[in-house]
Amino acid sequence: MKPSAQPRFGKGVKLRHDGNGSVMLLIPEGALVLNASAAAALELVDGTRPLGEIVAAVAERFDVSTDRASEDILELFERLEQRGLVQ
Amino acid sequence: MSAAPRPLSLLCELTYRCNLQCPYCYNPLDLRAYRDELTTQQWSGVLRQAADLGVVQAHFSGGEPTLRPDLVALVEAAAACGLYTNLITQGTFLDDAHLDRLVDAGLDHVQISIQAPQAPLADRIAGAVVHDKKLEALQRVLTRDVALTLNCVLHRLNHDSIEEVIDYAQQLGIRRLELANVQFYGWAYRNRTALMPSLEQVRHGERVVAAARERLRGTMEIVYVLPDYFGDFPKPCMNGWGRQFVTVTPNGYALPCPAAAAITTLAFENVRDRSLGDIWHSSEAFARYRGTDWMPDPCRSCERRELDWGGCRCQAFLITGDAGVTDPACSLSPHHASLASLREGDSEPVYRRA
Repeated sequence: MKPSAQPRFGKGVKLRHDGNGSVMLLIPEGALVLNASAAAALELVDGTRPLGEIVAAVAERFDVSTDRASEDILELFERLEQRGLVQ
Repeated sequence: MSAAPRPLSLLCELTYRCNLQCPYCYNPLDLRAYRDELTTQQWSGVLRQAADLGVVQAHFSGGEPTLRPDLVALVEAAAACGLYTNLITQGTFLDDAHLDRLVDAGLDHVQISIQAPQAPLADRIAGAVVHDKKLEALQRVLTRDVALTLNCVLHRLNHDSIEEVIDYAQQLGIRRLELANVQFYGWAYRNRTALMPSLEQVRHGERVVAAARERLRGTMEIVYVLPDYFGDFPKPCMNGWGRQFVTVTPNGYALPCPAAAAITTLAFENVRDRSLGDIWHSSEAFARYRGTDWMPDPCRSCERRELDWGGCRCQAFLITGDAGVTDPACSLSPHHASLASLREGDSEPVYRRA
């Protein structure tokens, strides 16, 4: 997925916030528990925001370099795209 | 006794009634004993209690769950509690209007099963002429805003069609395919000599799935459920007894595993008598095999004890008569040799009936 891509969730994929601050991605017949940066990235998925913008926002929020955030987040989106969870 | 963890998933077996007669069904043999089904209000209460316990997903299954006239109301009740909703159906009653009502009620995901990729074989396995109807249901679901999984249970009678199942899914544009080797519980355990795949079929299936996953990477996810009697280690059944999953039977019994009613040495409790939370946290049946304290050797000292959790308690009971021993599917089990004899034999399938 390129930085210009505008990811959106696949059918039957939704974020869930629990009272204790944990965030899960609910998917057909399963749930993925997200770490803080993955949750922050996926919270910004709306089908219009470009991936590059999501990376920059996460880098700023967690005070890490854009390169470092970019590596982690592109890999996350790659894995989710393979499974049809984001498009 | 270990403290109870948080359950994530509730399987609502709404009814064991079904218009098909598949011999691989895991439902219990004494189907008539489950006719006193929970009411809409009772199921709604169970969903609320499950959400309060921390459950995030509700699965509606059976039997055939669309035979319950209140299915739409129950999906709505689950969604109102914030639960993700899965419908596990054979699809023969999913007409346009019903599907629309389910999606409007908040249904997130539908799993539709086929018995084989070709109508004659599929209808023979189902014991009813239904294959073409399922195709219509699959096409219908694909046009709606709801996720879809195509499921096919594999056994001796259809294992050789595994490539055609994948082709069938690909032609339809299925994104998620579940190829599940039959698990031997209920009717399937009774029919094991008719359903047991050959070693050759199993090995061929593994090669086909590996190649298809490579070829279809990024376009279709293939979930492959391994056969029970052929591996070196048992499946981590339910990811551990009383750890993440709870099943409620049509008549209200709460079970740690959908096949657990077969374990006659445990007394299961009913949501009509006690809340789901109480049963989960403090019933003897859920506590009995939770965690690792109950384990005998070879599990007790095994480094895999928190990977496979001793395997399946129901399978241990069915094969050895003792639910508290290592699953015989494990090569380290003293009962493992008995699996070899269970893999042998041949018989005509007995069709499921009430």
